[in-house]
Amino acid sequence: MLREKGFNTFVIVGGLAAWRKAGEPVESVPENDLVKLPTFS
Amino acid sequence: MNLLSLMARHGYALTFCLLLAEAIGLPFPAAIALVAAGAAVAAHTLWGPYVLLAAVTALLLGDTVQFWLGRYMGWLLLGFLCRVSINPETCILRSAESFYKRGKVTLVIAKFIPGVNTMAAPLAGSMKMRFWQFLRLDFVGAMIYSLTYLLVGFLSRDFLKVVLQGFHAAGRAMEAVVVAALVVYAVYRVVQYRKHRMYRVVPRVQVQELAARLASEDAGKVQIVDVRSHGYYDSGGARIKGSIRIEPNNLEEELKHLSKDKDIYLYCT
Repeated sequence: MLREKGFNTFVIVGGLAAWRKAGEPVESVPENDLVKLPTFS
Repeated sequence: MNLLSLMARHGYALTFCLLLAEAIGLPFPAAIALVAAGAAVAAHTLWGPYVLLAAVTALLLGDTVQFWLGRYMGWLLLGFLCRVSINPETCILRSAESFYKRGKVTLVIAKFIPGVNTMAAPLAGSMKMRFWQFLRLDFVGAMIYSLTYLLVGFLSRDFLKVVLQGFHAAGRAMEAVVVAALVVYAVYRVVQYRKHRMYRVVPRVQVQELAARLASEDAGKVQIVDVRSHGYYDSGGARIKGSIRIEPNNLEEELKHLSKDKDIYLYCT
């Protein structure tokens, strides 16, 4: 869909796991981006 | 030894083991076992209440294990369970969406929905449902699921005999039914696989290639985008440094955060 909208898009092979495995830098997910799952309790 | 004679000799144990296997997340179409058991009940080689007991006990046991694993392992377990799926991302999203949308009652119907069946119990655990409430709903679901397929097997036995008169024995007929069901299941998986292959039209880049680009003067034209579902975002989670997150289920709205002047590199887990 992104490509249909004109964005030049690529997919990183292996995702975050491959990125970490290659020793590339990561950072903590900001609190604002955390979406808590609903709970039944 | 055909399935019916196997059912006649070890029917209760077989039913128990096959349903337990499905309940703990193995990709086995246990409904076929129930249909075969239903046919065995119709042939008076098995006693219905015992078969039902074996089936429901196995399902409850497996689901209970999954519930507690979900409680303590959360999304890690869901991700693991979805690894056997053709599209793990879709598997998690579909299951989670269904659960959110329908609420706790999902447990009652979950076993009939491919993808959701193995996810419902760990989702219930992850979402802190009270165990006894989970057990009550799961019991109802296990009963409905087991009775439905046992009944199908029970009622279809005579029908199948008429349709498949050319076969030497009912056991052969049941084998054919089982094979046909497996073929249908395989075709379904192939169709699903082909459907999801369309995602592969997007060019793929290796980590090293992207890292090299980030280290070059060209880095300003790169935007790394995290498209994991929020379920992956357990507290303390990590992401690629400098990446932004967009919600894949709300893509139209999220496009506002992206620039067409940059190359977009998407990643998930």
